[in-house]
Amino acid sequence: MKIVQLFQKFSPRLFKKKEEVKHMRMSSVLLIGYRNIAINRTRSLLTIGGVSIGIGVITFLISLGFGVQAMVIRDVTKNNPTDIIDVSNENLENFVVLNNETIGKIKNIPGVKSVEVSADVGGKFINGEAQTDAILYGVTPGYVTLSNMNIEGISAGDFTASAGIVVTPRLAAMLGFEKPQDALGREVEYTAVVTKDIVDPNAENPAEQTSKKVKIVGIISDQSKTDAVYAYTMLETLKTQYNITAGQRGKILIGNIEKIDLVRAQVEQLGLVTESVVDTVNDINSFFSIVRIVLIVFGTIIMSISAMGMMNTLSVSLLQRTKEVGILKALGAKRTDIFKMFIFEAILISFSGGAIGLLGGYGVAKGLNAIVNLVSKRYGISAADFVLVPNIFIIAIVTFIVVLGISTGLFPARRASKIHALEALRYE
Amino acid sequence: MLDLQKENEIAIKVSGIKKNFTVGGREIPILYGIDFEIKKGEFVLLVGPSGCGKSTLLHIIYGLEAPTEGTVYIGGEDEWAFSKNWRANFRNDNIGFIPQQPFWIKSLTVIENIAIPAVIAGKTFHEGIKIAAKLIELVGMSEWSNHRPYDLSGGQQQRIALARSLLLDPKFLIADEPTGNLDQKAGEQLMELLQNISQRFQITILMVTHNTEQYKFGTRIIQMVDGKIISDTLNKHSYQAIKDDLNLSENSNEAKKSK
Repeated sequence: MKIVQLFQKFSPRLFKKKEEVKHMRMSSVLLIGYRNIAINRTRSLLTIGGVSIGIGVITFLISLGFGVQAMVIRDVTKNNPTDIIDVSNENLENFVVLNNETIGKIKNIPGVKSVEVSADVGGKFINGEAQTDAILYGVTPGYVTLSNMNIEGISAGDFTASAGIVVTPRLAAMLGFEKPQDALGREVEYTAVVTKDIVDPNAENPAEQTSKKVKIVGIISDQSKTDAVYAYTMLETLKTQYNITAGQRGKILIGNIEKIDLVRAQVEQLGLVTESVVDTVNDINSFFSIVRIVLIVFGTIIMSISAMGMMNTLSVSLLQRTKEVGILKALGAKRTDIFKMFIFEAILISFSGGAIGLLGGYGVAKGLNAIVNLVSKRYGISAADFVLVPNIFIIAIVTFIVVLGISTGLFPARRASKIHALEALRYE
Repeated sequence: MLDLQKENEIAIKVSGIKKNFTVGGREIPILYGIDFEIKKGEFVLLVGPSGCGKSTLLHIIYGLEAPTEGTVYIGGEDEWAFSKNWRANFRNDNIGFIPQQPFWIKSLTVIENIAIPAVIAGKTFHEGIKIAAKLIELVGMSEWSNHRPYDLSGGQQQRIALARSLLLDPKFLIADEPTGNLDQKAGEQLMELLQNISQRFQITILMVTHNTEQYKFGTRIIQMVDGKIISDTLNKHSYQAIKDDLNLSENSNEAKKSK
C-alpha cells in the first residue's frame, strides 16, 4: 500500500480518471490519403505505375506458367484418366503374362474395379503387292472404352462386337490405300507370330501361324497416332484364330483413387510393371514448380525495385508534410491518427498499383492467348487456353499488396507519427 | 462562496512555471517561475523582446511543451497531470490556436482545412464543413471556400486560421504572433476581427505580440523580460478595461455604503 501511495505522489498522471481518446474516422484518414495522392499527380502516377508494372509482369508470367502447365496436363490426361493404371510385362527378370490367373489376382486387390487386357501379336499385313510388318493388338471390349479410342467408320460398340480390325491411317497407307477411308470394308491378309506364353496351354488345337483374312472395319483417328503403324482387333477374335487367351499388357480401372499407390505396389509384386499418367503429371508439376521458383525470384527482384520506389515516394511525401503533421498534432491529432494516415496512403498506392497490375497482366496474357489462337486457327491447329490465374494466386497477390503497402509505409508512418507538433510551429 | 465564484471566473491559471532547456549538456533557464491568472472574457497580450520566453510559455499553456516545474490549470483542470493523448483531446475541445504561420493540409481546400479540428475530433468532413461554412462567413472569406489555402495572401490565411481556431467553439484562443508576417493594414484588420470576436462571443484570448501598435486591442498587457513577468496591467485604453474599472469602482462604492 505504501509503495502505491509513494507512486501516486510522484506519478499522479497514472492514477487519473479514465481518459476517453477521440480518433479520426477511417473515412477521413482515407480521404486525406487519397487527396494527397491526387494532388501530387505525377509522383503518384509514377509510383503506382512502378507497382502496377511489377505486379503486372508477375501476373503475366505466373498466369502463363499456370496456364501452360494446366494445358499440358489437360492434354496428357485427355486419353489417360488418372484412375487408370497401365500394366505390362516389360520386366524381363520376371516374365509374367496377364492370363486368367494373374487377372484374378489383380481383381482381388482392394480398390480395383476392372482389369482389361491387350495381347500384342507381331506379324505381317499383306494387301496384294503391298505388305508391312505391324503389331496387332487383341483387346477386350473394356480396353477399347478405357483407351478412349477415336475410331472412324465404326462405332466403338460395333467394333467390340465385330471380328474385324481397325488400323492407323499410316498402316492403311502402307497397305496401298490412297486415302485411309478407302481401306474401310476391305479384306487384308495377316500372318501372326504367336509366342507360346499367351496361347491357351489347354487348347486342343495348337496355334497355327498361318495367314488369316481380316476385314478393316475402322480407322483410328487420333491426331497423335497418325504416324503409328498398328491395328486393333478384339481379343476374342485372336482366341478363335490363334488360341490367344492372355495378354502382355492391360489397363486397371481404380474404384478408389486414393488407393492407387497401394494397387500399383501390389500389382508390381506380381512381377508386372505399372505406369500411370499420375507419374507424368507429377513430372510436369515438378518441372513447372521449378519454372515458378524462377518466376518468383524474377518477380521478387522486380517488386523490390517497385517497393524501393514506393518507399522513396513516401519518404519524400513525409519530408514535404512535416509541417502538416505538426499542425495536425498541435490541433489535437494523436500519433495513431498520423500513423494511419501514412500507412493507408501507402496501402492505397500499393492497392491501386496492384489492382491495375493484376488486371493489366491478366488482360495482356489473355490478349496474347487470343492472338496465338487466331494465328493457329489459320494453320488449322485447334485453339488452346494457356492462361490461368488460380484463386490461390489472386489471394497471394492481394496479401502481397497489403504486405507491400504496410511494409513500405511502416517506416515513414512511424517517423511521421513521432514528429513533435512544435516542429511545425518553429518559425523559419 | 466568493472563492468559488472567483474560481469560476478564471479561465487560465499559470502556477509557478519554470522551464530549462538543455543545450550541449548545460541547463539553461528560460522561464523563472511565472504566475498569473486570466479571467474569462479577457483579451490578454503577452509582450516582450525576442527570446524572453513568451512563445515557450505559450507552448506550455497550449500543452505542447512540458514545464520543468509548475503547472497550468485550464477550466480547473491541471493540464500537465494527464497523458499526451488527453492533452491532445483537451486542446482540440477547448483551445483555439492561431500560430504565426498558419500551416495547412496542402491537399485540402480552404473550407476543408477549417473543418480539420472537427475531423480530428472524430467527426466526418461533411459534418465539419457544415460548421466551417458559418465561420468562414464570420471572417468574411466565404468566396474563397474552395481555393487552396496557400493561394491566399498572408492576411487572408490568418483570417482562415482564425475561423479554424473557432471551429469547435473553444473556451479560449491562443495566438502566437498571428500578425508577425502581415503588413500593418492586414495586421490591424486581423486584430480588429479578434477584438470583435472576443467581445461578441466573450472568448478569452491570450496573444503574443511584438507590435506596440496593437496594445490598444487588448484588455490587459503582461510584459515579460528574460523569463520573468515585469508588469501586468489593465489596458486603460480598452473598452473592456474601462468597463472593468467602472465595475470595480461601483463595487467599492457599494462596499463603502454598506459600511
